[in-house]
Amino acid sequence: MSNSFSQGQAAVVEGVEVPVAVDKHAEIERSQTETVGEYRVADPRMTCRDVDVFYSGSQAIYNVSLDIGKNEVISMIGPSGCGKSTFLRCLNRMNDTIDGCKVAGSIQLDGRNIYDKSMDVVPLRARVGMVFQKPNPFPKTLYENVAYGPRIHGIADNKAHLDHIVETSMRKAGLWEEVKDRLDQPGTGLSGGQQQRLCIARAIAVEPEVILMDEPCSALDPIATAKIEELIDELRENYTIAIVTHSMQQAARVSQRTAYFHLGKLIEVGETDQIFTQPRHKLTEDYITGRFG
Amino acid sequence: MNDMIGGHIVHAFNNELKQINELVLQLGEMGLDQLRRAVQSLEDEDPKAASQIIERDRAMNELDIKADEEIIRLIAKRQPVAKDLRDVLTVQKTVNDLERVGDEARKVAGLTLHFYDQDKHPPNGHMLHDIFRMAEFVEEMLHASLTAFKELDLPQALEVIRQDTELDEEYRAALRRLSTYVMEDSRNVGYMVEVTLTLRALERIGGHAKNIGGYVIFLVTGRDVRHESLAKIRTEIEAGNYLPG
Repeated sequence: MSNSFSQGQAAVVEGVEVPVAVDKHAEIERSQTETVGEYRVADPRMTCRDVDVFYSGSQAIYNVSLDIGKNEVISMIGPSGCGKSTFLRCLNRMNDTIDGCKVAGSIQLDGRNIYDKSMDVVPLRARVGMVFQKPNPFPKTLYENVAYGPRIHGIADNKAHLDHIVETSMRKAGLWEEVKDRLDQPGTGLSGGQQQRLCIARAIAVEPEVILMDEPCSALDPIATAKIEELIDELRENYTIAIVTHSMQQAARVSQRTAYFHLGKLIEVGETDQIFTQPRHKLTEDYITGRFG
Repeated sequence: MNDMIGGHIVHAFNNELKQINELVLQLGEMGLDQLRRAVQSLEDEDPKAASQIIERDRAMNELDIKADEEIIRLIAKRQPVAKDLRDVLTVQKTVNDLERVGDEARKVAGLTLHFYDQDKHPPNGHMLHDIFRMAEFVEEMLHASLTAFKELDLPQALEVIRQDTELDEEYRAALRRLSTYVMEDSRNVGYMVEVTLTLRALERIGGHAKNIGGYVIFLVTGRDVRHESLAKIRTEIEAGNYLPG
């Protein structure tokens, strides 16, 4: 364990918060060596085994093994700094962009290690798309926001095909009817909820297999949140979705499986119904019932 | 405040859970008291006391409604999960059973009025003997179920569930004994019907105590055992299979 961890002080390395032991629950956590619950699924899209993540020497993720199944929504919950976002970012190598970040262990997409030297991260990030906390449309037209990905990845054959991709992506994201008459207007002119759905349309346009969502609703009002949650449920038919959320109710509503992280460890994973009615680990129970966090 | 209720970051949530748990205990005390007084009114042949008991049942009904309102408010405001959710559901079901205990106690008081109000002809005291015996047993069961609820005491809850089978035996034996009075003299049939209904009311109170025992097991272990056999519940609890974690 690094010094910053054992001293119980906050540490920020390269702009990324690392886990800090500050509460009485840390003691329970230290004795935790194995994840409670079944981390494997019968039909995995992604398979993570013994994943450790270090930021400039400080360990942020400890030995996490987790499968992400096909056509499932898996939510990752836990207190701030528990490593859930760090883990999510490992799934499409977003952590590569952080200096001093090192990922050990194995993360496979459809049986192939995404950290393999021969893996090209550009197509990887098309296959494993990401939606962020704050909607971040390009400062371009609505059309261009969605068309950009298919164009650079060479997915569209011609203009008509590109138009088709833009329309279907926007339809899938539940945005088409609201914006079809103003596709030439800037994406930044939409409301927050619409911008987030635009970002989802942009992620869908490159035909991903997995969509990662990092607190996709935390900047949205309740109605926009409900629309995104409805959308997540619809997208599950065609995609695998991993979502990090601070809202436990949201995790309970949208996901089929829930993973609970605490101080960089995966404490418990299981069916969402089970986690929210009969969690097996005391840390999970205390967190979801609002006893700490 | 027991360990299952306290410990939330939001203290108001602790207080609200504590409050609804206290309402259960309050309602339980009232139910016990109503039962004791109803049986006493029969023993004392005191129709005035019986009328008071019937009047007091309204207070239990009001408390029942108050508890329901508190529960609805708590669910709407706090969206409880896991053990908090089980606690709220347990409270809601227990309140329901206790309200019915009050109704059954009222029936017992009704028998006092039926037999002893004004110029009525009461039955031979022997016919009431089983009522007093069963009432004592049922009172003990109800008291034990409330203690199990208050202290989250699994062995106590199990014991109440066991006692209910004993009570059922007692009830059947009492009915058999009662029927002999009719065999002796068919004019006793009217008394027999009234006493049977009262025995039935007591048997139901025992049933409600048993239900509360089952809710306590659900609250502590997360397992719904209402339709399991006693032997199975006991074996699994002893094997630790019902314990969370």
